[in-house]
Amino acid sequence: MFEFSFLFGQFLGGITAAMFLFLIASGLSLIFGVLRVLNFAHGSFYMIGAYLAWQFVHLIAPAPEGFWLAALAAAVSIALLGAIVERALLRHLYSREELYQLLFTYALVLILGDMAKIVWGTQQLSVSRPPSLAGSSEVFGVTIPHYNLFIMGLGPSIAVGAWYVLQHTPLGRIVRAAALDRETLGALGANVGWVYTGMFMAGSFLAGLGGALVTPIKSIVPGMDVEIIVEAFIVVVIGGLGSFWGTFLGALIYGQVLSFGILIFPRFSIFAVSVLMAAILIIRPWGLFGRPLK
Amino acid sequence: MKRVMLAVIGLAALLVPAHSRAQQPIKVGYPMILSGPGALFGEPALKGAQMYVEEINGKGGVLGRKLELITRDTKGNADEAVRVSRELILKDNVDFLVGTLTSAEGPAVSTIAKENKIVFIAPIPKTDQLTAPANLHPYVFRTASNTTIEGRTAAEIVAKWPVKKIATIAPDYAYGQDVAKAFVEHIKKLKPEVEIVDQQWPKLGEADYTPFINAQMGKKPEAVFSALWGGHFLTFAKQAKPLKYFDSINYNFIAGGEGASIESTRAMGADYPVGIWGNAYDAFNWDGAPPAHKDYIARISAYTKQDPPSSWPVTGYVGMQMLVEAIKKANSVDSEKVAKALLDLTIDTPIGKQTMSGKDHQANRGQVWGKTVIDPKYPFAIMKDILYIDPTPFMN
Repeated sequence: MFEFSFLFGQFLGGITAAMFLFLIASGLSLIFGVLRVLNFAHGSFYMIGAYLAWQFVHLIAPAPEGFWLAALAAAVSIALLGAIVERALLRHLYSREELYQLLFTYALVLILGDMAKIVWGTQQLSVSRPPSLAGSSEVFGVTIPHYNLFIMGLGPSIAVGAWYVLQHTPLGRIVRAAALDRETLGALGANVGWVYTGMFMAGSFLAGLGGALVTPIKSIVPGMDVEIIVEAFIVVVIGGLGSFWGTFLGALIYGQVLSFGILIFPRFSIFAVSVLMAAILIIRPWGLFGRPLK
Repeated sequence: MKRVMLAVIGLAALLVPAHSRAQQPIKVGYPMILSGPGALFGEPALKGAQMYVEEINGKGGVLGRKLELITRDTKGNADEAVRVSRELILKDNVDFLVGTLTSAEGPAVSTIAKENKIVFIAPIPKTDQLTAPANLHPYVFRTASNTTIEGRTAAEIVAKWPVKKIATIAPDYAYGQDVAKAFVEHIKKLKPEVEIVDQQWPKLGEADYTPFINAQMGKKPEAVFSALWGGHFLTFAKQAKPLKYFDSINYNFIAGGEGASIESTRAMGADYPVGIWGNAYDAFNWDGAPPAHKDYIARISAYTKQDPPSSWPVTGYVGMQMLVEAIKKANSVDSEKVAKALLDLTIDTPIGKQTMSGKDHQANRGQVWGKTVIDPKYPFAIMKDILYIDPTPFMN
């Protein structure tokens, strides 16, 4: 009924979408896993990362491969922004109820959204693909843009890298301990405050990187912050909040369900994903890989 | 002493009531998207209205009174549009409403206009439902184009192409559904041998169009009509181009939803799929335009300090102009009388004569269409041989 090349194309499309979502959602999940803060402003970091990438590309222009430097600079800037937010503001809310933390990050969404509008206006902005990845190849009759191939490779690399750091390094052990029991870790002499800041920066870095890397395939517009945060939430709900591999799997499932869902329900592309999320919330509220919250 | 002063002021007020009332400005409420993704078009649409108001006030205003534009942000949300429109009427005591952008906001504010018996002119929302017989009331008017006009005009163009297998892609909400339906129905009428091989309905604001693009290419259409607008079209085109989507249909692609507007081509620069067709509300290089157009473009360019200027200010400009001309004709700011004056009113605008149909309160507003080309004078694609199709034959 469907040609193989077509199904393969849908599959690859789903993987590309999944890897972008993973970049964003993994940062959200990391921060929640350690700090137990659901950062609504994660999408805003993503958006500002995109705007900064555009800004840096224009500063560095006309260097042809300036995009890479711009993307890295944007991600680092967002990590620094994350550090400021965590140390100067969020820090004071850890002892409060979760509701206050949610309200705080929600307020950040509004503030950052308006700031982006003041700085960059409401014009739609666009960044070109770097020339080294501007081409495309044909595999099994499917055209694959090289930039998409790069994203497909980057997602798993980041997943494996983060897994290695978390599971096999002393730093990772401290982070895991911070996630499990912050008081005991503090009593053992570790500087928990900086572990929190570091994790918030790492998560923000991923958001900024995701925002910067998405610019060659998406337009930069106000409102992209809210769009992405909704999708990232669905991914972490499916995978399990705080679980890194759960987020990876959640993103893969999201991408494939979206890709093939439109074949089954052409009018309701988002419907299949929402049904899946609802089903998971009913059967396994803590997600596929998550732990039940105490 | 204070009391004496008050008495004097009170007496003075009594002595000159007629005069001071004549100096009160005519207030026009302008609910428009000024934040979020839609602000991209809401802001220039506001600029056009503001420039018109300044020009009119510079010439002494209307009926000897100045015009005052009171702007509110609808945030692209129908509920918010309703809330600010109510506030404009009840708190700011506006005499009229001009505004709204999306096809969700327009019909929502129309019900408020009906409730309060206040003339409401919609300069941008395109859904047919706004002025459909079931929703029409004496106070709602539209200077925007509508989905019937846009879909049928696109069909007129595509019917001349040597293609039979046609597909559509449109956002899955009122505007996208209505315009795709108008296109499909009209092209089947013009060219019965046409086969609609595929219709894709991504949600409004879809981030990843790849699955839709692949699915559409899988059906092997020869031409495509799109109604993805604004930043949505940009994202779609950026993803479709490297997938060789436009090559696969030989660039037989027509982008409704202002896909060839200068906002889109300027933003995308070299990444724009040059060679496709598209439309816009206005074009700075529209050679066949009425004589007044050239002067308007120079004025709006100076006013917005943008060269070439945006294609959107004309929507707000013509909306305000229609209202002011109706006030002049009615010689009154009473909504009842202005609404009557609007029926079959013809005015001279920068884009030519516009007539407000007395039957369905819809202006004969077409859009400019053209094939995009690269002109070395500009760092972005522009429309060539701009076509303005008179919508009058397609309006009913």
